[in-house]
Amino acid sequence: MADLLEIDAVCASYGRIQALSEVSLKVPQGAIVALLGSNGAGKSTTLNTVSRLVPVTAGQIRFAGEAIQSWPSHKVVSAGILQVPEGREVFRDMSVRENLDMGAYRRNDAAGIRRDLERVFEYFPKLQERLQQKAGTLSGGEQQMLLIGRALMAGPRLLLLDEPSLGLSPLLVQQIFAIIERLNREGLTILLVEQNAAIALGCSSYAYILENGEVALEGPSEHLRRDDSVRRTYLGG
Amino acid sequence: MSSSPLASATSGKRVLSGPAIAGLALAALLAVALPAFTTGYVIYIANLLLVFVVLCLGLHVVIGENGQFSMAHAAFYGIGIYASALANRAVDLPYPFAMLFGALVAGIVGLFIGALALRMRDIYLALATFAFGEAMQWVFANWDSVTNGPNGLRISPARFGPLEILSDKQAYPFVLFFCLLMIGVTVAISRSRLGRSFRAVRESEVAAMAMGIDVRRTRVVAFGLSAAIAGFAGGMFGLFQTFIHPDSLGFQTTILVLTMVVVGGLGSIAGAIGGAIVFGLISEVLRQAPQYQEIIYGGILILFMMYAPRGLFVFIGDRIREVRHGR
Repeated sequence: MADLLEIDAVCASYGRIQALSEVSLKVPQGAIVALLGSNGAGKSTTLNTVSRLVPVTAGQIRFAGEAIQSWPSHKVVSAGILQVPEGREVFRDMSVRENLDMGAYRRNDAAGIRRDLERVFEYFPKLQERLQQKAGTLSGGEQQMLLIGRALMAGPRLLLLDEPSLGLSPLLVQQIFAIIERLNREGLTILLVEQNAAIALGCSSYAYILENGEVALEGPSEHLRRDDSVRRTYLGG
Repeated sequence: MSSSPLASATSGKRVLSGPAIAGLALAALLAVALPAFTTGYVIYIANLLLVFVVLCLGLHVVIGENGQFSMAHAAFYGIGIYASALANRAVDLPYPFAMLFGALVAGIVGLFIGALALRMRDIYLALATFAFGEAMQWVFANWDSVTNGPNGLRISPARFGPLEILSDKQAYPFVLFFCLLMIGVTVAISRSRLGRSFRAVRESEVAAMAMGIDVRRTRVVAFGLSAAIAGFAGGMFGLFQTFIHPDSLGFQTTILVLTMVVVGGLGSIAGAIGGAIVFGLISEVLRQAPQYQEIIYGGILILFMMYAPRGLFVFIGDRIREVRHGR
């Protein structure tokens, strides 16, 4: 299938520290692609260059064939690239409902918004129960659900997930990933950043491993899962 | 669960709670009936309080809704006062045009300050806006050809067609009307898409960006709107005042407005209104003992920060709830 997202030799830096050097990766339409690596390898930075929160110093990012590396972040969202930032960035003082409304901030199609709200409730019935509750009072797992739900309210074509398993119990991680796989089966393309390599390799079709801001290894997830060096470094055995 | 996404597009957070609405209705009734049973001085104080309500609404938009600090609202207020007074003198149009002009000039300056504020946060932003406020007071006091400098500026009476306003009592219905109008405007802003984006930026810039909000534009617009409302308050001042002196547009005024908004409850419109009225009355009483005024302001502010950081109304609401639940 065609590539929905192409990152082509992208460099980025924070001040004088080079965070990414010539990272290239592709996310085919309809796939889950995983981006793995240890802390500080540049995983989140890669997502942030796509969502335009971090400036690109060299290289090109193409979304559905269009070069987007100089777009402002709100235009990227309008085009259908939605990031779920790490660190539980919910709007804490707003209700669950208002958080979901914020997801549809750039949309005007009331009927579509209504449909997507129903869909979000279908994926996350918990959210419907807690609709009027302040987002800051939700549990960690519920906040993660809200983050994904909020992104879905924007009607995304590509979802950028940053560490969805962070700080969650194994059971919750399973639940969240079951939903991620379901979203993908229903047609959503996903670029997934994870530290939990086992689960990320389990649900993705292709994976990239970043080390020190460079792509160190890439391949079909199935192969990487059996690769000795990957097993030693990232899968703990 | 039955509310539709359509409805939600217009419903921001709940701005006013039930008791607050009842209180406001009572206050409004009192306010309308006020001239019937009071003296000119009381009416003058009421006019001034209503102007401060609007000034507080202005500060509320930038601090309460958007989470940006401003220590310059006396300056925007002053710009509104001078600009509307000068416009009123220059052209023979009904006074509301002068008020709009005052709001416009203050708003444009506010946009400019907001653009500069993009690079700053928290204490740095507070200091920078403080410096701007001080600079503006200096401008008011020294730009002789426009503001008449340290001698102060005489404000000619406001006219509405054939009607010329010459007393506080005459001005009062207009002041009240414009105050209610600005409350309506602020509620409308708060419930609009723009208002939602203000609050989203306040709560998390990263999340706001991820939702496709243009954070920079939002912050600049919040500053501009806030300054325009403060400038409009300046135009209201000219409805009943005959004179403006730069001394009354300094840091003290900024602190007074800031205190009102914090005491009332940061982030709520009802809080900004109530804070302006309650604290305005306190400061009027304190006028009997001017030497202690600053100390008492400071004391009240400290007490509120310690015991009621979410403001007077949340504090009272919580106490009522405690009593109801038998604690």
